[in-house]
Amino acid sequence: MSGKSIHNRIRELRFLNGEMTQADLGNQIGVTRQTIAAIEKGKYAPTLEAAFKIADVFGVGLDEVFTWA
Amino acid sequence: MPYREKIVWLSLFAIAVAFIPYFTYVAITPTASEGLPNVRQLILYAIAAGVQMSILLGGRMWLAARSPEDAKIPADERDQAISRNAIRVSYFVLMAGTILVGVIMPFTHSGWQIVNAALFMIVLAEVVNYSIAAISYRRQA
Repeated sequence: MSGKSIHNRIRELRFLNGEMTQADLGNQIGVTRQTIAAIEKGKYAPTLEAAFKIADVFGVGLDEVFTWA
Repeated sequence: MPYREKIVWLSLFAIAVAFIPYFTYVAITPTASEGLPNVRQLILYAIAAGVQMSILLGGRMWLAARSPEDAKIPADERDQAISRNAIRVSYFVLMAGTILVGVIMPFTHSGWQIVNAALFMIVLAEVVNYSIAAISYRRQA
C-alpha cells in the first residue's frame, strides 16, 4: 500500500464558480447530488469519464481538481 | 434520502412483510409427509409473492408521485457501482444456497422441504443484496 489517496478541490471550485450547488454540478455531468457529495467527501472515487466532466465544467485540468497524495 | 435508496428500503420492507410470515409458518408447520403438489403451500407462496409484488408496485408508484423528478433520473455511475457490489456478494450467497439445496438436500430431505429451502435461499440472497446496497447508500460509498 502506498498510503496515498485521491483528494479533490470540488468544494473550493464550486465556491469559486459562483457557489455552484452540488445539484447543479451533478446535473451538468449526469450524476445525482448525492454522488457529488460522496465524491467531495472522498467516499466515492468517480470514473475517469466523470472526473474529466467535472474538470470540464470548471474549465480546468483534471490535475487541478483531483490529486493523488 | 435519495430516491434509489428509498427503493432499496422499500424492497427490504416488502420482503420482510411477505416472507417473514411465510417462512415462520413453514418452519412451525410439518410438511415432510405431504407430497407434491401441495395446494396449501402453493396458495401460501402465491399470497406471499402477491403481497411482495403489491408493496413494491404500490410503493414505487407512491415514491414516484412524491418526487417525480427524482424518479425520472436514471441510475448514475455510483448507483450502478453500489448495485454491482451488492450483486457480487449476494451471488455467493445464492451459489452456496444452490449447492446446499440442489446438491446436499436431495440426499437428506424431500418434497416441499427442498422447495422451501430453495425459496429461502433466493429470499436470503435478495436480503443480502438489498442490505448491502442500503448500507452502501448510508455510508455514501
